[in-house]
Amino acid sequence: MANDTHFDAIVVGSGITGGWAAKELTEAGLKVLLLERGRMIEHQTDYKTELKAPWEMPFRGAGDAARYEKQFPVQMLNRHFTEFTENHFVNDAENPYQKVADTDFNWFRSYQLGGRSLTWGRQSYRWSDYDFGANKRDGHGTDWPIRYADVAPWYDKVEEFIGVSGAAEGLRQLPDGKFQPPMALNVVEQALRERIAKQWPDRCLTIGRTANLTQEKPGRALCQNRSICARGCSYGAYFSTQSSTLPAAKATGNLTLITDAVVERVDYDPKTKRVTGVRWIDTKTKDRHTATARVVFLNAGAFNSVHLLLNSADAAMPNGLANSSGVLGTHIMDHANTLSAAALMPGFEAWTTFGNRPTGVIIPRYRNLDTMDGAGHSRGFSFQGGALQSGWTRGKREAGIGADYKESLQPPGMWRVVLVGFADCVPRASNRLTLDRANVDANGLPQLKVQFAFGAEENAALAQAKADAAEMLTHAGGQVIMGFDRPGAGGTAIHEMGGARMGFDPATSVLNQWSQAHDAANLFVTDGAQMSSSACQNPSLTYMALTARACAHAVSLIRSGAI
Amino acid sequence: MAYDRWSRRDLMGAAALLALVVGVPTATVMLSTQDAADAPSDRQRAMIAAVSDHVLPTTDTPGAGQVGTGDFVILALAHGLDGTRAPAATGALSFAGAGQRRPDGSLRYLDWLEQALDTAARGDWLGMAPAARAKILATLDAAAFAQGADAHPWRKLKGLILTGYYTSQVGGSDELSYELTPGRFDPAVPLKAGMRGYSSDWTAVDFG
Repeated sequence: MANDTHFDAIVVGSGITGGWAAKELTEAGLKVLLLERGRMIEHQTDYKTELKAPWEMPFRGAGDAARYEKQFPVQMLNRHFTEFTENHFVNDAENPYQKVADTDFNWFRSYQLGGRSLTWGRQSYRWSDYDFGANKRDGHGTDWPIRYADVAPWYDKVEEFIGVSGAAEGLRQLPDGKFQPPMALNVVEQALRERIAKQWPDRCLTIGRTANLTQEKPGRALCQNRSICARGCSYGAYFSTQSSTLPAAKATGNLTLITDAVVERVDYDPKTKRVTGVRWIDTKTKDRHTATARVVFLNAGAFNSVHLLLNSADAAMPNGLANSSGVLGTHIMDHANTLSAAALMPGFEAWTTFGNRPTGVIIPRYRNLDTMDGAGHSRGFSFQGGALQSGWTRGKREAGIGADYKESLQPPGMWRVVLVGFADCVPRASNRLTLDRANVDANGLPQLKVQFAFGAEENAALAQAKADAAEMLTHAGGQVIMGFDRPGAGGTAIHEMGGARMGFDPATSVLNQWSQAHDAANLFVTDGAQMSSSACQNPSLTYMALTARACAHAVSLIRSGAI
Repeated sequence: MAYDRWSRRDLMGAAALLALVVGVPTATVMLSTQDAADAPSDRQRAMIAAVSDHVLPTTDTPGAGQVGTGDFVILALAHGLDGTRAPAATGALSFAGAGQRRPDGSLRYLDWLEQALDTAARGDWLGMAPAARAKILATLDAAAFAQGADAHPWRKLKGLILTGYYTSQVGGSDELSYELTPGRFDPAVPLKAGMRGYSSDWTAVDFG
């Protein structure tokens, strides 16, 4: 061991929630060590491909498929993975994980400063009491120890800091927030909104609520409507650790940031029933280090925070740290999603758009709200998607050669609408993470093993989503050309969560209502691992709000001397 | 943008591209991952260049042949873009001979193309007059896009030709429009005759 150091707080992981924890804790005056397993990526100067055109790239932006198949077989399945963005995703060959037989799970990851905050979809939605009350209502999983009112002020705080553009709609199932002005629906989406609402007043097509700025913030410029966010944005126009939380944390003078530092375990003192700090490995030199602190926040990403807790088992906690309940690693979830419908939309041939709006639309959940009208499922689904015109790639599907064919590909093509269904994923004990000690990674740490399957609830929800989507688009004048009712592989939504769930009872949950370990009062887990249910809308905003809330609680406990 | 309205810099850029294409021997577009057996012959290289130019010829902007699309297709095939090194679909067997398949089940697309065109030409397709070549290629194209011909190898090659052309500077920013930083979003713009779509509309490229 070398370089033992002491801090007030240690934050593990610098992604969406780790950045928030670092910001909140440093701003409260705590000396914070932020450990990031991946490499340094400096804001602006390290976004190497941001301004490149396809013709400036060796493979024109498509990338080297042969190399991707060897090195990025999982990450290459991500829509945002391209030759421009490949440096913002993990090399799968160098970062292996295991799956039990019959599990189909794609784990999309970004190991770097900022984590997946650089590559996220930026969709930012509040959860409602339909979501926080879901487990109690239908008996799946364990009841959340919090409700919307507990989180609402923290949603306010987070939205005002990160900047979320969106339209207030007054929906109980998708509460309004502190929005910047919304981005505009395009001409087809506006017509769809009106036609759907006329037939189904409870179904609201609205612009996606996205963490892209439509009003400037200090040090951050307006969104330029490029829609190349995952390359990194020198304008700082979307929320990322680099653009937003890290500058705030650094400005306090209280932050120590170390990259290329993978945490292998959290140390626990059974005498005090407190964690004492972490042990970490310099991934470049393989040197081992320790750091101590009064409080530890795990923000390594849902699965890696669970991995760290499982790997921190010792004589006092043989099944893993904070796992006296035995539920650590269980009840993992990911939204079940699929392309519910794609339709051609005739009647708008006279129109096009200018600019690349970096968000689509959402039709929030309308099933199983106050009336249980789900066909074979007790929760909800929502749609995300949008209306778009085809480009030159349509020529790949069309016959023709020569000048006329070339000319036919000049203008924007036919309008079409896509609706992707996102179904609530029921928390199940059988969907779980374990450590595979027979297979270790490059740092000698056991690999994570994933066991995951969707079930009848998700299949039923997506079947209804397919039927509803087709009905809505047909009614609105569309010609449905395809639709699916079975989810993609687990992980496809990149909303993997759970594994260290919140709950009232220490015997059946890992964390309490403050994202604080039942078994160790100075240990907090505030990334996706804490989630007890999945809802059917994107979770990152809720992770951020719960992180800010947990930080305030931790600071109050420190100040009172309780931890 | 009409070709005659190009800036001098653009013209120099195009000239440089042209020089690159004309002046580079086949061996230098071979890639380290290529097996010797996969290296295209000079004739195949000339053939895919000519074929690409028949698909997207020079109009008011340079055609695919002029911007080196053929060499991009060779690069793309060597690296398996668009699934071209995956085992070919069963249906592809009806269009390709056994000798054009690798042991792993993938197709040797340029071998296939050479044989398909020469067979249709009853001789040397490349040596025919341009109009005759175009007629044969148009017939092949029509067959490949007929109902039930989804696995036709020509579809993959044509797709790579389009990728090569519309991601080139000429195809992407002269034949089509290119704006990396639009700066705004206009949700309803009247579409007028002669308007060109944006190659920088990434959503359209992904889902088009």
